[in-house]
Amino acid sequence: MTENMSCYVLCDPNKCTGCKACELACFAEHNKENNDVAYTVGTVTIPVTPKLYLTKTEKYCMPVQCKHCEDAPCLNACKKHAIYRDENKQVIVDQSKCIGCKDCVMACPFGAISILPVSDNGAVLLQKDKECVKAASKCDLCTGIEGGPACVRVCPNEALRLVDLNEEQLAKSIATANSLYDSRLS
Amino acid sequence: MMRVVEIDKNICTGCRECAKVCPAYAIEGEQGQPQTINVDKCVMCGQCVQKCKSYVSIVSHGYEAYEKVKKERGIPDSVTEPLFAAHNVTHIEEVKKALADPTKVVMASAAPAVRTGLAEEFGYKLGTLSDGKMAAAFRALGFDYIYDVNFAADLTIMEEGSELIERVTTGKGKLPMFTSCCPAWVTFCERNYPELTDHLSSCKSPQQMQGAVQKTFGAEINGLKKKDIFNVSVMPCTCKEYECSREEMKASGERDIDVVITTRELAWLIKDAGIDFKKLKDEKYDNPLGDFTGAAEIFGVTGGVMEAALRTGYELITKKSIPAVEIPAVRGGEGFRSADIKVGDLTLRVGVVSGLKHVVQVMEDLKAGKMKDYHFIEVMTCPVGCVSGGGQPKLLMDTDKELAYKNRTGITYKMDESLPQRKSHDNPSIKKIYKDYLKAPLGEKSHHLLHTHYVKGRAKTIND
Repeated sequence: MTENMSCYVLCDPNKCTGCKACELACFAEHNKENNDVAYTVGTVTIPVTPKLYLTKTEKYCMPVQCKHCEDAPCLNACKKHAIYRDENKQVIVDQSKCIGCKDCVMACPFGAISILPVSDNGAVLLQKDKECVKAASKCDLCTGIEGGPACVRVCPNEALRLVDLNEEQLAKSIATANSLYDSRLS
Repeated sequence: MMRVVEIDKNICTGCRECAKVCPAYAIEGEQGQPQTINVDKCVMCGQCVQKCKSYVSIVSHGYEAYEKVKKERGIPDSVTEPLFAAHNVTHIEEVKKALADPTKVVMASAAPAVRTGLAEEFGYKLGTLSDGKMAAAFRALGFDYIYDVNFAADLTIMEEGSELIERVTTGKGKLPMFTSCCPAWVTFCERNYPELTDHLSSCKSPQQMQGAVQKTFGAEINGLKKKDIFNVSVMPCTCKEYECSREEMKASGERDIDVVITTRELAWLIKDAGIDFKKLKDEKYDNPLGDFTGAAEIFGVTGGVMEAALRTGYELITKKSIPAVEIPAVRGGEGFRSADIKVGDLTLRVGVVSGLKHVVQVMEDLKAGKMKDYHFIEVMTCPVGCVSGGGQPKLLMDTDKELAYKNRTGITYKMDESLPQRKSHDNPSIKKIYKDYLKAPLGEKSHHLLHTHYVKGRAKTIND
């Protein structure tokens, strides 16, 4: 029996059209507070840095995002302790601690982490040599954002869903048990 | 070759979400492959521009790609916002050039819907009215005259209302009469229903009336030569640039509107000039060509032209004051709705189409002789009228669409309520222009300046 597993967003590639609404919404939701991104495109003053990444091949497309692994390779690989597990078991990057060493990118088996520019106050942060500050960027499941994961909310094709295996596994176990019980009776 | 709305093949992911909102079925291509716009079908409404989320990404395209696309499209360096595959061709450089040219007298005029959306691009809440700030911004940008398309919206009502009354009472002209202020609808009608273009009102759109009046009457009252005047129109619409470049839109002898920019491009212009929009204090528009009533402001929402026409039509026909200035029966959302409006002894059967897809059934019914009891039908291409136009601020998340439409519409009606005059014929500057210059609605001068003709079967969008 599992309990207290982290949740994650899963895409049904049969429904995904590759429109990138999820990427844009992800970026918008995560930059409202610190970068003055409001409702419309004109309020954006920084590069679009999403936390999930549309992946397109000849045959299909779907966004790839963090699975919030129970034994998280990224977390284990991070030497700066910039990746932690929050009270909901979600794996979160603290960008202020991240130095962009890429160990997590290497460790992640899914390609769900990118190293992207960090912005604050509506501008990309710069290092001494004028190179922009970069840090690991990956799905945080919109922790603390009203309404839950923005990607799920905006997908025009309902291709994305929030998976809570604590509930789903239980539901499946019950369904299995029910059918076994019913077949015993017949 | 004129380009209006385009899809950048290098950025398009082939999701075809745009094809779902295109009312003209003009977007062609295989799923997953870059799309193309069939210019013979495209009505240039820009709903694809609003829908497209396929942006130039620093992750998948690179930093250089963003700068390259910006340059290719003629977008100012100062612009930092994301750029998308579907876009409208910008004319911002032409405006900047005219403003910098000391020999040009540059006149600004903006559509009613622009002031309901503009502030959103500066971080304000969806549907924040920025009427006074917009006037201040025009002045700070160096425009010489700050006029208003709303003036011409009132003028449109005088002409179109009179035309309706003439068609209804004398039997001259086809009924039902259709509105003609939406250029995407007019183009759609010319192309797909050439045999029915006589049903269109012969009135030009407010934009084109404003342009013609600014370069004639406007030149006269200000002691200017029309060739020195450069008319910049700001629109919530991507199709208006096409409208102003039509061959027949030269009533003044010159091109009546020199260039059109969208609400979004006006925001770029303001930012590019380093103007702090939030700090701008409300200013007034110049009179007389910037004076308007509440009837003009509601042109920006579905049912607004109809309501404005009824407010004036009622009083012109009955010579009495309309009992209730607000006509909720013609207000509403996307789709087709109709109402019977008592105007003295007359009952006018009116229809309102919002969203171009819904006009097809109406036109098929008209062909089949099923629309005989209708007198007047308003058609707007965009979902809830111009406030939802293709040139309006683009939402980052479509889940905010409903709220944006609701608030922009709400603020439009609120502005109407707040104005001292709410009927076009009560606009003192409209009275004055008829007295001093135009003489009478549908008169000779009006006919020349304010009315147009249609091109049956206008085939090519882009090359004519």
